[in-house]
Amino acid sequence: MNRNLFRQTGITCCVVVALAGTGSAAGEGVPYRQVADMLYTVVSADREVYTHMVVQRLVEDQQVISASEHFEDDAALPLPAQMFRFGAEKVEEQTEDFSYALLSLWPINKQNGPATELEREGLERVAENPEENFYGEEELAGQRYFAAVYPDIAVAEACASCHNNHKDSPRTDIEVGDVLGGVVIRLPML
Amino acid sequence: MSRNTLLWILGIAGTLLATAVAVAWMTVGGDRGILLPGKTTDAHHQIELACETCHAAGAFANAKKAEKALNKACRGCHEAELKAAKDSHPPGKFRNPRMAAYWEKLDARLCTACHVEHRPETTRTSAVTTPTDFCVACHSEEEQDVRVNRPSHASLAFDTCASSGCHNYHDNQALYADFLVRHADQPWLAPVPMHRFSAQAQTRTFRTEAAPGRGDAVAPESALRDPAILDAWAGSGHAAAGENCAACHAPAAAKRAGLAEIEAQWVEAPDMAVCEDCHRWQTKTFARGRHGMRQHPRVSKPRNPRRRLAALGLGGWLPEAAVARFTDPAPPRRMTVGEARLPMHAETAHLSLHCGSCHRPHAVDTEAAAVEACASCHNDPHTQAYFGSPHHALWEAEVAGEAEPGTGVSCATCHLEKVERRGNIAVNHNQNDLLRPNSKMIRPVCLDCHGLGFSLDALADPGLIARNFKGKPEIQVESMAWAIRRTVEKPEEEGAGSRVQSPWRNSP
Repeated sequence: MNRNLFRQTGITCCVVVALAGTGSAAGEGVPYRQVADMLYTVVSADREVYTHMVVQRLVEDQQVISASEHFEDDAALPLPAQMFRFGAEKVEEQTEDFSYALLSLWPINKQNGPATELEREGLERVAENPEENFYGEEELAGQRYFAAVYPDIAVAEACASCHNNHKDSPRTDIEVGDVLGGVVIRLPML
Repeated sequence: MSRNTLLWILGIAGTLLATAVAVAWMTVGGDRGILLPGKTTDAHHQIELACETCHAAGAFANAKKAEKALNKACRGCHEAELKAAKDSHPPGKFRNPRMAAYWEKLDARLCTACHVEHRPETTRTSAVTTPTDFCVACHSEEEQDVRVNRPSHASLAFDTCASSGCHNYHDNQALYADFLVRHADQPWLAPVPMHRFSAQAQTRTFRTEAAPGRGDAVAPESALRDPAILDAWAGSGHAAAGENCAACHAPAAAKRAGLAEIEAQWVEAPDMAVCEDCHRWQTKTFARGRHGMRQHPRVSKPRNPRRRLAALGLGGWLPEAAVARFTDPAPPRRMTVGEARLPMHAETAHLSLHCGSCHRPHAVDTEAAAVEACASCHNDPHTQAYFGSPHHALWEAEVAGEAEPGTGVSCATCHLEKVERRGNIAVNHNQNDLLRPNSKMIRPVCLDCHGLGFSLDALADPGLIARNFKGKPEIQVESMAWAIRRTVEKPEEEGAGSRVQSPWRNSP
């Protein structure tokens, strides 16, 4: 099981790092928005695959293992949101060409709340209009960034129930289909 | 020429000469001790003249490159330890540009944000050079304000976060809230107190079919004269595993070679490299720890002045006598007891540290290595108080065969982590992995015999530690009570939601 997980993480990283090349290509013709959309397609597809084909299958359908926030102590699977963050941290170890994060206006871990004005504006906009992504630019530490915010929806009952019941969650009224937060992708502008 | 002019000329010439010598020491070779900008931290003082270990970017690199190289060097030696600790603040977490506002407050992308060398006046335990309230940088404003998010923390000062037994910057494996709650009901002492890996290590069996006996020793005649050595070897794990004398004294001739070849290659006192051939992980971790760090592969070797002069275009130009002046002083390859900064027995000052310092070479007695070897050099209150302590009494009972394996507590039980590797129990010889903060010991050691609440209190009580745990803790760490109140008793008053199991945790 662990080997498969590592393999999937590895594949995710390879695809994402391969796309990092297109991030730097943005200045040569591929629009920043398109690069961000492509990256989002990859990272969200991988998370969806992990959620359905690993977590839901093994935990709910086949009932052979649990998934837990403390997955090491519980000898369980990491939650999909944790898997997503581990990928983001791995990318940050390897490249500065792009970065991504899973954020929320109602984060369980306060560190995952908005840290910049653009993040706050983007998360508010996608919460109000889940059909539309948010795009903008901001300057951080002297570098200009293109940033895209994609709505993150509670697609399964497990998402809503975990966010409603976790002791550190500021919300208890989330229903399936609600916006939980957003994926923020940043590209340094050349 | 006036006297003043002469003095000026002499002054300028002297300054230029001193600068030239200093630059030559920095870039070519020679004793750079005088150039050390300040006393180095404990442990690092062993390698303080191997400057390039940390200052790997070169003497004239710009500040950014030098800083990058410094931080790479930190991780080169400490990465494994941080990974094992499930580092709560790994640099990767802070590289995302969304953290840019924090970089100005405390740049957590860099080890050197908190650990600066050569600053003895501001250096605290664990080589920390930031003020004690460093948590304030990121956890004190708006949504991140922990005093608002945790009502129990409302009146706490930020210099108590990491000094109270509640939080560590890196290793919080035994301190996170859910872990505290899960272990809240444990008694101070387990019904069957036993360190399970110590027990496993002592009950393992070797293959004994091929074990040579006392009379089977193959060695030069002169080496067979001491019956004590033969007895020790015959009763050792080495003999039990089928290893004869030549395995260590003439390893190249050990397989299939006859006595003549063994005699020809016989080494009276084999080097550590021989141990390493079989005990790779043990020697690798030894070199990561305080006893063996001079042998760490990342510690820079003495510089080659000829090669460096050649790079400056001075190769072959300077006479040999001048080149010899640029030779790096060679510190002992191994740490000596006398170089330690901790209190040690003066009579052992001349001893150096290698496998044989703690392990008797023929008996390979882990019992002696677990207590006697430590106490033969270390001479601080904690070590002195061990003898006569409850832990020591348990150890004596186990050694005497009056108690079960794993029930005794030696120095090594707490300070040298035992881990399971490929089905065997191996000893991690990097004692730093369990040393500081002392809560690192809780999961791999304390919890085998004690409850979490008792362990937290005991490790937060410096007096009890100095007495080597004779008596009960006089300090009570409040974190467990707060975690229970927040998650179980009064979540509504502590700003927390009710604790209901996730549907993904219902299955086995």
